[in-house]
Amino acid sequence: MSLQAVLPDTISGLLGLEGILGDVVGGLVGAFLIANIMLIMTAFAGPWAKRKITAAFGDRIAVNRIGPFGLLTIVTDAVRLLSKELIVPEGVDRPAWDLAPMVIPFSALLGFAVIPMGNGIQLADPETGLAFAFAAASIASLGIVMTGYASNNKFSLIGALRAVASNIAYEIPLVVTAASVVIFAGSLRMSEIVAVQAEPLLSVAGVTIPTWFAFVNPFAFALFIIANLAEVGRNPFDIPEAPTEIVAGFQTEYSSVYFVLIYLGEFIHIFLGGAIAATLFLGGPAGPVLPGFVWFTIKIWAFFLFTQWARSAIPRLRVDQFLEIGWKGMLVLSFANLVLTAIIVGVIV
Amino acid sequence: MSLEEQQSDDPAELESGVSRGDELADLLGDLVVGREEHLNAPGLVIRPDEVQDALFKLRDEAGFDHLSCVTAQEYEDRYESIYHLTKFDDRTDEVSVVVPTSKDNPVSQSAEPVFRTADWHEREAYDLVGIQYEDHPDLRRILLPDTWQGHPLGLDYDQDRPQIATLREHANPLEEDHRAGDSNTMYINIGPHHPATHGVLHVETVVDGEQVVDLDSDIGYLHRCEEQMCQQGTYRHQIMPYPDRWDYISAGLLNEWAYARTAEDLADIEVPEYAQIIRTMGAELCRIASHMIALGTFALDVYGDFTAIFMYAMRDREIVQNILEDLTGQRMMFNYFRLGGVVWDLPEPREEFFEKIRDFIDELPQALEEYHDMITSNEILQARTVGTGVLPPEVAKSYGATGPVARGSGIDYDLRRDDSYGYYDELDWDVVVEDGCDNFSRLLVRMREVEESAKIIQQCVDLLEDWPEDERNIQANVPRTLKPEEDTEIYRAVEGAKGELGIYIRADGTDKPARFKIRSPCFSNLQTLPEMSEGEYIPDMIASLGSLDIVLGEVDR
Amino acid sequence: MSSEQKPFVTDDTQVQTETRDARMAGADDRFNSKLREAFGSSPFILTKFDKFMNWVRGSSMFMLQFGIACCSIEMMHTYGIKHDLDRFAAGVPRASPRQADVIIVPGTIVSKFAPRMKRVYDQMPEPKFVVGMGSCTISGGPFQEGYNVIKGAEEVIPVDIHIPGCPPRPEALIYGIAKLQERIANGESSPVTVKPYELEQFGDLERDEIVDKLAAEIDEEDLVMRYNWADSP
Repeated sequence: MSLQAVLPDTISGLLGLEGILGDVVGGLVGAFLIANIMLIMTAFAGPWAKRKITAAFGDRIAVNRIGPFGLLTIVTDAVRLLSKELIVPEGVDRPAWDLAPMVIPFSALLGFAVIPMGNGIQLADPETGLAFAFAAASIASLGIVMTGYASNNKFSLIGALRAVASNIAYEIPLVVTAASVVIFAGSLRMSEIVAVQAEPLLSVAGVTIPTWFAFVNPFAFALFIIANLAEVGRNPFDIPEAPTEIVAGFQTEYSSVYFVLIYLGEFIHIFLGGAIAATLFLGGPAGPVLPGFVWFTIKIWAFFLFTQWARSAIPRLRVDQFLEIGWKGMLVLSFANLVLTAIIVGVIV
Repeated sequence: MSLEEQQSDDPAELESGVSRGDELADLLGDLVVGREEHLNAPGLVIRPDEVQDALFKLRDEAGFDHLSCVTAQEYEDRYESIYHLTKFDDRTDEVSVVVPTSKDNPVSQSAEPVFRTADWHEREAYDLVGIQYEDHPDLRRILLPDTWQGHPLGLDYDQDRPQIATLREHANPLEEDHRAGDSNTMYINIGPHHPATHGVLHVETVVDGEQVVDLDSDIGYLHRCEEQMCQQGTYRHQIMPYPDRWDYISAGLLNEWAYARTAEDLADIEVPEYAQIIRTMGAELCRIASHMIALGTFALDVYGDFTAIFMYAMRDREIVQNILEDLTGQRMMFNYFRLGGVVWDLPEPREEFFEKIRDFIDELPQALEEYHDMITSNEILQARTVGTGVLPPEVAKSYGATGPVARGSGIDYDLRRDDSYGYYDELDWDVVVEDGCDNFSRLLVRMREVEESAKIIQQCVDLLEDWPEDERNIQANVPRTLKPEEDTEIYRAVEGAKGELGIYIRADGTDKPARFKIRSPCFSNLQTLPEMSEGEYIPDMIASLGSLDIVLGEVDR
Repeated sequence: MSSEQKPFVTDDTQVQTETRDARMAGADDRFNSKLREAFGSSPFILTKFDKFMNWVRGSSMFMLQFGIACCSIEMMHTYGIKHDLDRFAAGVPRASPRQADVIIVPGTIVSKFAPRMKRVYDQMPEPKFVVGMGSCTISGGPFQEGYNVIKGAEEVIPVDIHIPGCPPRPEALIYGIAKLQERIANGESSPVTVKPYELEQFGDLERDEIVDKLAAEIDEEDLVMRYNWADSP
């Protein structure tokens, strides 16, 4: 009972293809489109926006000589990094070491398959969409573990172990908090979660506030954002990378193309985190005046900006404190939230 | 005091009343085999196999609880170690314990059981001069590579002989030691190239999971032979540029003052009051610049990247550097002090210069407020720093920790007040002490010291502004060549940015010092790192290292 | 498009240095182009491609976060608010040498550190560039006479740009890096100087008095650096 035709159907419809051929071509073209949209966004975010934002927090200017506003840095950084020597240190565990940089970005990209980006841009809308998104996102930590043990580097190993610890500790609150939204929405299907949020909550002076779950349950939203920060490994939870402690954490030994892939993966992951948050709590692509896709982009960039802000202004937690907050704080709070939501929904409905 | 009464029938009293040296010699009795007179303190000559007895007595019975420095040197006929002792409660009460050893068997008893700080100091003496210390827990080279041949500050060292340095993978010293049954330790090298070591420090760390179980700082990656350089320079001009490069975090004037004070006392030069005020003002500006970096890099260590606080600290520091550049002509390596004063007067137009300083001082409280908002009142930072890296005052004293590190452990010790020099005793300011003993206290001490420094600068500017124009005497009359008398020895210290920065000079009648020894505060402070970090987490170790605020240029010299 | 965006590139017909000729002739594989190896340097498309690559490398670099001595303070200021090296797309310090392009050597190199610095340099991927900051990396600077001081960074690693000063002002460092970018964009690689001090296995050293003496302490396979101070400038 899809509310809207998903992207592959639209494409195959446009091309006039039907049956299996239509599914395959539509699926491939759609996946290609979405992957490229995300890669372009990441390209802006990684070498350019991140520098500009960090610089703005520190009263600096950052890149402004190479092209307008330094935008050509995106090209130069990408080409340079790709053209560098790929160092394969002695003693690395070869297949794992080579696979890890693929796993990290592609798992994050996979998550975007079920995200409704507005204007009918959605690759698939399965019944278990939300579960799929979380599952895909958490494969990235497998990649991090692979980098860690395969690198034959102690700093990488510590970084990877930290990543595992953080993933286990924060994935549960993240999913449990999301479950409270599912109770409201009554479905795991992404498009339905979005649709439920379109109804008006209340009207103040002519402005209608929709039932975005961030307004309905701001507490859950806060929990989700915090868990999400930990999930994507940004301050105050950037312990897997922790530059001043363990050099560059799990990515210490990676250079050239592999480094680009890992770097890319991290940014896509941030965007995926933002996308899930936007879908669950901020009405997905909903918003006035502008088309849905623009709103969706604004929302995930807002989350990106938030991570960069946190990175510039908040100290890093120590690993034990980090886990303590995860297990003793977030977990308890997220379950409390779930139970309360269930009771409220049960009583009202 | 009962000691003095016992001394009243001592023959030495006839000359100048009861001298401190006689009192202490009496206390030590037979242990003293000779006497020397240093310009700063009486010298007691002790036999090399009785060092511990003598030091124990001086520490426990006469209260000398601060082993400031160990100087080693080679004479034509003997080696000599000098232990410069003083008290944390009374800095002006000093004594030098002189331990001569023979040329062919330079073995002397170690002072390590008495003062923990002697560990590194004696290793340095062994490394550079070649005196062996019996009973020392770990006597190996400290500044030079393990495979170095010869002792470079010895008299017959040939600088042209080839040397070999190794690039070794270090083995885990605890590998075989499965203390807790199935515990498994891992050895990691933190440094010498690591983003958090503030230069080229090498911390050999053994971790059990995330916890540090054993830690050894390996230094010497920036050993630039500062002592040799100073021994090759003439007193009057050639030595002064080097102090700038010891503690290079813009503490230049503070370091220069250490040399200026020592050499001026050695050659008996009186510095005009006007010059003293300029010195005081410049030195405190340097202290602010230095503490700003300490703050910025500490934030870097705890926050993990070149973030806002680091940038803000840099911004404020840039202003200080501009003021100092106006005053001295250089941004970092000032070379502004001269023996007997400073090299030139304040820049013209003076009003503009004062205005610049005033603007800075006026805006400083606001800037500090911002730092307090962003750093000290941040709960995560408090969770990270309060109660971590604990350094109890007794341990700090035993390691000879000074400066903000000691004051963060509740030790009320500041040479500017306790052994006053310059213009400090005429001004109104406070010694900042925090008794939390942890990383947070050390951070707070630095931030509050910036306020105190601003107060001092404010007063100096007021004084300088009203100074009559015809009395602006920036330099005393100093002979063109300084040749202090042979065998005069002096040890003097000032309060550098990191703590007690002392210099020992022995003159040999020429215009160059025969022995020039630098007592670096960071060298002693860094020794406390294992005490603070063992059993803690890696991030806390990094934070502790940041809160010690070491400068490798000064640690290694 | 690219030609308008070269901030520092001077007219390259005027740049006719020997190093450039040497590089075009393929004598120097510093830029590590497999394509050029395969095709030689003549085809039009490859020369254009080379130019593009040079522009890329000159317009974007990650620095190694590497502090040694006094100069690193001025280096921090160069990254900091007022001077902001990142304007030139050269202000991202990376902690791991694997991800860095440029190593700024900011200070005195002493005997104990030289093998480590060499190792860090070796860990960086090609093409990599070295900026020698301050007098110490030129000649040992004020510490040249020290018994423990390497007389300049060039004794250990090749240096592309020397920035004099003790320490150089941040403006000077920025100028030096801008010059380096200009040179890279012009396709000049650095003259690789004679490096008297190399990391080698202890067993490979010529046997003499000191080697014999240390034979008991050092394994044959241990990497060592041997300093012949008497031959130093």
